[in-house]
Amino acid sequence: MGDSQYSFSLTTFSPSGKLVQIEHALTAVGSGQTSLGIKAANGVVIATEKKLPSILVDEASVQKIQVLTPNIGVVYSGMGPDSRVLVRKSRKQAEQYHRLYKESIPVTQLVRETAAVMQEFTQSGSGRPMLGWLQTILDFNGNCGVRPFGVSLLVAGFDDNGPQLYQVDPSGSYFSWKASAMGKNVSNAKTFLEKRYTDDMELDDAVHTAILTLKEGYMHLKLLFF
Amino acid sequence: MSRGSGGGYDRHITIFSPEGRLFQVEYAFKAVKASGITSIGVRGKDSVCVVTQKKVPVRQAFGSDQCHTSFPHHQVPGVVSHCMTADARTLVQQARNEAAEFRFRYGYEMPVDVLARWIADKSQVYTQHAYMRPLGVVAMILGIDDENGPRLFKCDPAGHFFGHKATSAGLKEQEAINFLEKKMKNDPAFSYDETVQTAISALQSVCKRTSSPTRLSIMVLVNGSYRKRALSLHLVGVVRTDSPAFRVLSTEEIDEHLTAISERD
Repeated sequence: MGDSQYSFSLTTFSPSGKLVQIEHALTAVGSGQTSLGIKAANGVVIATEKKLPSILVDEASVQKIQVLTPNIGVVYSGMGPDSRVLVRKSRKQAEQYHRLYKESIPVTQLVRETAAVMQEFTQSGSGRPMLGWLQTILDFNGNCGVRPFGVSLLVAGFDDNGPQLYQVDPSGSYFSWKASAMGKNVSNAKTFLEKRYTDDMELDDAVHTAILTLKEGYMHLKLLFF
Repeated sequence: MSRGSGGGYDRHITIFSPEGRLFQVEYAFKAVKASGITSIGVRGKDSVCVVTQKKVPVRQAFGSDQCHTSFPHHQVPGVVSHCMTADARTLVQQARNEAAEFRFRYGYEMPVDVLARWIADKSQVYTQHAYMRPLGVVAMILGIDDENGPRLFKCDPAGHFFGHKATSAGLKEQEAINFLEKKMKNDPAFSYDETVQTAISALQSVCKRTSSPTRLSIMVLVNGSYRKRALSLHLVGVVRTDSPAFRVLSTEEIDEHLTAISERD
């Protein structure tokens, strides 16, 4: 028995009360490139390493940090293709908000709506084993067996409430952070950030700290510009 | 009955395994390698070239177009798709449709990177919904962008897409990329001829055919008597700034390039 029999179907809790696919999604995030964010007194910085599979790749064509609105940006750790879906949906939600209220969307609202999308994919559709193969059942949205997103997002924004940094997980839960890291080497990065973070940090200090934290995690240090 | 980790179904549909992997996507990559052929794409200063191998079913009588893995796509970008031809045909059909709709909706030709992104996003959907498997196709999209010049993109079954200066896909992908990395190390700006010749010589070097027959001489039964026919084993497609429509090179043109390569070496 155990958890393994329940790990295919997201609408079924395992006997230990876990949704096992989400755990696996978090593992996928944990093997992605490190990314981090730091909230300063007058701004937010998000950073990641742009690690390309070969020198033949045109680096101008790859953008890991994306803009959702002119004052909200996002970085991810985990599966790139999944992040594109979320970026597209978030941008659309921001636009729809703007069309309705003629105002830019506050950061918390956008984060909440993005998280809601991620949560949908942990509850839609189902598959159950039937005579040795998997029968998938359509739910009323027409979704039939989806897996959670294999990304965690760090959303950085500046609105009337000042600078904000949120982390959204594959489960759809989100938290506001002063500084956070995700992906590989996350415990080292977080320890480093805890030591270095101060509440009254300026944005330039925060950028500096972000770069230092990323460098900490490098196995092979490649100094490009300095 | 031991189910193994993940209930055993993580290998059947695109759900996560306990290590956070998607086995179906990884198997799709293997399907691409199983095609047994390699493609190379190289971007130059004002042109992009893709070279691929033709699978030659020797016992059949055929015309030079039959083993077509290169699809001229809505006149502007070209697509080389790898492996499962049925999957490739679906992908190209949908991409052609999308490009045509884009042209209709927005009044200008779909740019190469937008098309590549669309293909990649479609592939991502198949990795997230259990009822559809990922396509066993790696697509190389090439075209001339109005603003950015020659572009080469590669889209894979996982939904990743990158722009490339040069790349490869298929059986000898890694060897070809090693070869190309050496050639492109200092960011050279290849002319049209250099682009084509780099691509062809990359394919030659990974296919290890020292005698490098560019043609296969076959005997074909035509109208009741045997005739000798020659067929090129390479399929080369190019787009150039001065002629942005995707074009497949003729056997004679390929021969010229092959001669130039052997003279150079």
